[in-house]
Amino acid sequence: MNNKKLLLLPLALFMLSAIKPYYGGEMTIRLNEPASFHLNTANYSNLIFYSLIYENFFYMKKDGEISSNVFQDYRYDAAARTLFLTVRENLSFSNGKPLTAKNIQVSLNIFLASDLFAASRLSKAIKNVRVSENQVAVELLADNPDIVSLLTAPELVVLAEDEQSFSGVFYPQEWEKNHHLTLRANPFYAGGRTYLDSVRITFTESPAPDLFLGSPNQFKENFHEFDSGIYQNIYLCFLQGDVGQNTKIALYSLLNRFNEATGGKFRALHTLTADEESPISIRIKTFSPQKTASILKYADIKLYILASLSSLEKDLTAFLKESNLRIETLFIDDSQFAIFLDSAAIKYVLIDRIFQKKIPAEEKISRILKESSFNRFNASYLRMLSELDEASFSNSQELLTEQIARISEAIVNDGFIFPLFQKNYSLYVRKTWPAVEIDYYGRPLLQKAGKSNE
Amino acid sequence: MKKAICSSLMLISFAVGLLAQQGAEGLVTDGAAYLAGFFKNKFDVSVAIVRFENESELTDLALQKIYQMLVSRLEDEKNIRVSDLLIGFSNGRGEFNLSQAGALDYLLDLKLIQNKSKTGLGLTVYSRLQDRVVSVKYFEKAILQGEMDSLNARDFAFSELGFTKLLEFESKKDLMDIRSIAADDGTLHYFFYYPDEIIIYVAKETRLEKYFQFKLKWARPFYPALHHEGRLLLFRSGPALFLTAGNNSSPYALVFSMRDGLWQETQKLNFVPFQHVILNQNPYLVGARFEEGRNFFKDEIYFMPFSDPLEKSASYKKKVYSAMALDLSTRGGQLQAVHLIDRNYGYHLFTAEFEEKTPLPEKKGASLAALDGEWLAISDHSRDADQIFFYDIRDGGQRQAYIGKVAGEVQFISAGIWLGTGGFWAGVCQRTDGPERFMVQFWGKRNE
Repeated sequence: MNNKKLLLLPLALFMLSAIKPYYGGEMTIRLNEPASFHLNTANYSNLIFYSLIYENFFYMKKDGEISSNVFQDYRYDAAARTLFLTVRENLSFSNGKPLTAKNIQVSLNIFLASDLFAASRLSKAIKNVRVSENQVAVELLADNPDIVSLLTAPELVVLAEDEQSFSGVFYPQEWEKNHHLTLRANPFYAGGRTYLDSVRITFTESPAPDLFLGSPNQFKENFHEFDSGIYQNIYLCFLQGDVGQNTKIALYSLLNRFNEATGGKFRALHTLTADEESPISIRIKTFSPQKTASILKYADIKLYILASLSSLEKDLTAFLKESNLRIETLFIDDSQFAIFLDSAAIKYVLIDRIFQKKIPAEEKISRILKESSFNRFNASYLRMLSELDEASFSNSQELLTEQIARISEAIVNDGFIFPLFQKNYSLYVRKTWPAVEIDYYGRPLLQKAGKSNE
Repeated sequence: MKKAICSSLMLISFAVGLLAQQGAEGLVTDGAAYLAGFFKNKFDVSVAIVRFENESELTDLALQKIYQMLVSRLEDEKNIRVSDLLIGFSNGRGEFNLSQAGALDYLLDLKLIQNKSKTGLGLTVYSRLQDRVVSVKYFEKAILQGEMDSLNARDFAFSELGFTKLLEFESKKDLMDIRSIAADDGTLHYFFYYPDEIIIYVAKETRLEKYFQFKLKWARPFYPALHHEGRLLLFRSGPALFLTAGNNSSPYALVFSMRDGLWQETQKLNFVPFQHVILNQNPYLVGARFEEGRNFFKDEIYFMPFSDPLEKSASYKKKVYSAMALDLSTRGGQLQAVHLIDRNYGYHLFTAEFEEKTPLPEKKGASLAALDGEWLAISDHSRDADQIFFYDIRDGGQRQAYIGKVAGEVQFISAGIWLGTGGFWAGVCQRTDGPERFMVQFWGKRNE
């Protein structure tokens, strides 16, 4: 430890015990580089990043407690089947533009129109969304006193009309591509200005971060480890029906070999959700290296990889180059991917999905079917989803498990999605920042993080 | 036998206790007696110690005790008017507020030295009118190690006569300030300032009863804050009653005046007033601006001549430090000093001329308030065990007189009055044993 750090430690401890908290300072966080400031919570790193610049309608703590910074009051009127959300007075976006009930209505409608499982679930429950002065009325199709819990989805955030306005604790100030991004404290933040002046998001190994994601059970000495409650699944998808079975398995085998060659950073995944909760196991027998090479030798493969997996880029490119196969990797943002979906050019895709461990298996399988079947979604899947819904309401665990098994089997048999890897995450926070809390979705809450806390 | 030993040990320790102050007290007694004799044939002379140096083995704390003993002895002399100008002791020297020294008849210069095993007190009397030293005297006493330890130990006498908690009750959260003013009918109205409203109470025997409340309408730009900070000011200008309210969420403070029995918003100010003082025979509003959304003031103090309507052109500013807490001590409406706690929790004092003094160089704090020009209350900065330190500032000095232990964390202190007793309101947050509670306490002196 150098002298500067030796001096900083007692200062931090002193400020920690101070009654009036100290405002100031910067925290360094290591995350994957985002593609843009356009909301995209496809992976855990993004989930954290966008939570810093966009404010959620509601937050859910780990113990299930729900709170909101945007609404001064929210109440559900069972007789009117309506949830009334009263927006706090005088709120503004980071650039000072007013944040009104109209912004809440528009943001909610954008979320409802998105291709997300949580959005479709909420969409099915809502009849209409009305605005009157500083109040938003969300009328439901049927009585649902738990409607607020559906509004805690991390993707449901307050959006502004223009791209330079942010509702979150911080707003972007400076972006040096491939290196770092600086976020400044939002002076108009609805929850009250954060103690920190800024957050530096680094995309490189140095400087040593104060907060980062890593595999569990490491860095015990200087960091608090939080179980994020999240895992990330990686799937290999085949979007066109003309890909041969051998090619699929050869590519699958190659990617498994890549994981072994790079130190086995990922756990093998043999189900669509998590091995410990799935009723069926998917065992795909891999080819030998020789057979893989002979199958892929003449193939001209363009492997599209979601930008959220950009951390693989360096190692995977090197591995494929060494294998002497004609496999080109193209990293693509979610929004671009959606545009290209109808194009026959995209055949091979590597995607990732993050899941909250506590979420029931039926919800996860439903999400996979909805969000990851892309252009292969068909009427039989729709029927299976309806049957899954019915099974959920049946209160029969046996029936539910059987339906999950049926869906898993159907998806795998159709051969468009192969589960590849799973990665568990811990969130590490340097011990000099003890006020950092983690919410239900595994996101660090930095509003009260500082050299002194509340 | 054991009992006998025990009794004799108790007697010995009692005797040591009695002896403990003997040497120092002897010096003080001799010094006071000499001065009493010197001033015997003089009438109504104004005297103050203006210099006190220490070359002995005693610490600054011991010096302060000796100083206090000597001043209290001199205060007993009927023909002497003693002014306590001490600001504090540091590095073996006393720091005194000499801004009023020109009004004194005699100035006293004290010096402690170590002469082998004895401690000596040199006393010089200077006549300001004759502009010369009129008397020099030297006393010597042995101060034993036990006495020296006792003198150097932190302990302040007569705490039972000092500030005590006279009132305590629970309030809703986020209370930022309390002020009071006598209404037209003479009853005292207490104004409790919350982020979005002011609630007015009147005292009924020993409790407060709600009298009136009104909502505060803030506008954009509005900076939501995690920790609400705000200041109220109530004052009369001629027959009119005025109220100002500012906080750390709005860059503008609201000005209200009482019209037709109602508080009506009349103006907006670009700073948060917290004192109404007389400067060059003109009334001024004095205050500062909060850093938006944060819990500290910016590093400037605003002075604005007050008239109705406001005349802002003759306003001016003075540079100080960014401050967690800030208050002015006044006497007869005149500015006496500026007290502040900086962002590193350090205490600072500025004279009325904005000359910085360092009366308490190591003093840390969180909140503070001055009760006219008489008392200064500073809360501790530590969460572990909060307390309020009360300083006597009556003669422009600064002498720690009392300490009040507080269960909880002091969020703000403001000067006030309760049942005719001057003192301090303290907003205290209590987090132990269940849900957070916000308590209001009033600290005052029972004997005043």
